[in-house]
Amino acid sequence: MKVLVPLKRVPDPYSRIRLAPDGAAIDTTAIKFEINPFDEIAVEEAVRMKERDASVEIVVVSIGSAECEEQLRKALAIGADRAIRVDCAETLDSLGVAKVLVRVVERESPNLVLMGKQAIDDDNNQAGQMLAALLDWPQATFASKIEFNDGRATVTRETDTGQETLEFPLPAVITTDLRLNEPRYVALPGIIKARTKPLESLTLADLGAQQECRVAVVSMRQPPPRTAGRRVNSVDELIEALRVEKGLLKS
Amino acid sequence: MLRAPLGVQTPEDFDADVRLMADAALQFARGEVMPVLDRLDAQEEGLMMSLLKKACDLGFGAVDSPAEFGGLGQPKAVATRVLEMLSPNGSFATTMGVHSGVGQTPIALFGTDEQKRRYIPPLARGDYMGAYALSEPNSGSDALSVSCRATLTPDGANWKLNGTKMWISNAKWAGSFIVFAKVEGERFTAFIVEREHPGVSVSAEEHKMGLKGSSTARLVLDGAEIPRDNTLYEVGEGHRVALNTLNLGRCKLAAMALGQAREAIHQTAKYARERRQFGRSISEFGLIRDKLARMASNVFAAESMLYRTVGCIDDAFAAVDPSKGNVAEQNRRAAEEFAVECSLVKVFATEALGHCVDEAIQVHGGFGFTEEFPVARLYRDARVMRIYEGTNEINRLFAFNRLATKGGLNAALDAEPTTAAGALFRHAAMAATKLDTRTQQVDAGLSDLLALTYAQQSVISRADRMEASRHPRSEFARACADYFSFLAGVAAYSRAAEVCARVGGEPPVTPELHGVGSDDRIAAAVLEGSQYPL
Repeated sequence: MKVLVPLKRVPDPYSRIRLAPDGAAIDTTAIKFEINPFDEIAVEEAVRMKERDASVEIVVVSIGSAECEEQLRKALAIGADRAIRVDCAETLDSLGVAKVLVRVVERESPNLVLMGKQAIDDDNNQAGQMLAALLDWPQATFASKIEFNDGRATVTRETDTGQETLEFPLPAVITTDLRLNEPRYVALPGIIKARTKPLESLTLADLGAQQECRVAVVSMRQPPPRTAGRRVNSVDELIEALRVEKGLLKS
Repeated sequence: MLRAPLGVQTPEDFDADVRLMADAALQFARGEVMPVLDRLDAQEEGLMMSLLKKACDLGFGAVDSPAEFGGLGQPKAVATRVLEMLSPNGSFATTMGVHSGVGQTPIALFGTDEQKRRYIPPLARGDYMGAYALSEPNSGSDALSVSCRATLTPDGANWKLNGTKMWISNAKWAGSFIVFAKVEGERFTAFIVEREHPGVSVSAEEHKMGLKGSSTARLVLDGAEIPRDNTLYEVGEGHRVALNTLNLGRCKLAAMALGQAREAIHQTAKYARERRQFGRSISEFGLIRDKLARMASNVFAAESMLYRTVGCIDDAFAAVDPSKGNVAEQNRRAAEEFAVECSLVKVFATEALGHCVDEAIQVHGGFGFTEEFPVARLYRDARVMRIYEGTNEINRLFAFNRLATKGGLNAALDAEPTTAAGALFRHAAMAATKLDTRTQQVDAGLSDLLALTYAQQSVISRADRMEASRHPRSEFARACADYFSFLAGVAAYSRAAEVCARVGGEPPVTPELHGVGSDDRIAAAVLEGSQYPL
């Protein structure tokens, strides 16, 4: 079985975000970057599949400039077999990403695309769904448990109303949620081993893909600073405040 | 003396792989060690051993041990960075530092292939811990005066060891000990002793002021019988094993100190941001900001000295060539070449840590004096670092005297000083050598001046390199270099004045002091992320 794990380079979720002077991007100087945490969960799940079944091949792919090779190397260190970087200096929107990934899927013919449900930088939560639609493959989003049997996947997914279990044939797209697994620490021997694993760089032209982006970021702003709270003396006072001042809890 | 390495000379020179290794180490420390500090300090049965095993499974236990014997074969600079990041807690740092350092290095440098094959793989895997047993109840700083004796059994097949070793870190969990004893009471020699050898036992734990999570006990050798093949290096050459292991160990210790100092800065900045007095965050007050700036500048300086030194040591080891004869002998020379720098770095880094944990308590005020906040433990744990691996007094005397006796002093004095501290060192050292009135007090003062010179050179060259490579943190580095140069100028002037007064020499000229305004930018950078930013 071949698993394709797309992953995105994102700012470390614990770093302090400042806006760039033009107000339409974040200031990336002195920010640390990481694998998008949901994508790291996808890498971890793929590596666990490989540990259960040595015939599993894991290919990781990222779209971006040379810097994102750092994140691909980390995925190789965790246990992926090889990596592809699709060279692209511009930011793509979700559909643009999905269309490039379609080309990668056509090239690699994986049995499964396993990826984060969303990237923590823009939180779009779209690329996986769009990719499945473009490929006309079954999809399961927000997976918290994944099992395979006879070329079929059984996925438990977390929804607002509870857990849902889907069963469908492969190939398919599955997007991962937080509770699927807890990614391991990167082992030093894995980092050393990753040095000899292949990391291929492709242009959009190599894939016959386009650079497509319909979405433009017009401006960004910091959320307003939190104002101090206020203490209430009783539950009744709290309900009254929520009802009258905030217009909540309509009776 | 005071050379620059060819390869890695600052942490910024590490490639993405090494940064990933350092991140992995830090994540391990944060995820596995920091949540269980109370349980570690209570010496919960099996906990430290299981943490060490987990760390070894990830490759942290033998980063610079030879790859053909189960280590990772990485340069010492890499091992140093990994240990630094594993070290926000002193107990775990000491356990890992001893296990991966003085518990293994003597075998890696001086052992036969058979000894390496037998001991390094299980140590690298973390099957048991390594330990180093030099000190005795009556032999501390005077390390070569040990009374532990080794005698050959009548059949000549085994050694019989008798004596007691004291302050043995990891003793409770160790499977192998590097033990020093005198053959026939005279010839100082190193041995590899297994916990399971007959006649070997470990006493009850010492009740320590800090590092309560680490094991410290006595190793009792009561007619302990070990195979003759467990002689490490040559009979009568144990001092070379002991002292050169300690040279490298001092760099590891500096890395452990830096890891804890980073944690002290993190806790202090976090608290300063949260604490409000006079209607404002205390992080807005000049005296609090200055404390953070001094802490960060000293850490920057210690880090710059450490990686410069370790880079030089890696260059020396890279030149070791098995086709050029005895590898152990070449290793010895490589480990010996930068002994002066190793001592300077140990003293400087552990005192930078001492300063950081002291100010951490001060910024926390009364809360810092309680166990409610994590800084009290940091304070207790840090104290011993100025004592073990050679007291800072011994290291001060050693550094200057070795420079003076190995001929490096003249070269150091002939070179035109490039720093304020360097000029003051030259002035004081010339006064002291001319008048031949050197005492321990004078030598220690000169050693401090030497350390300040080394530190000031290192911070300036690091800031220059970061600017040249357009490193995103180069402004912070420059601010640290400037502020440290200011602090070093003040400190060096005071030390030089003292040395000159003691030897009756001309008082030094007041240095030009710049950089005083950069403290606020350093504090701002530290406060922004509540951490030492590099």
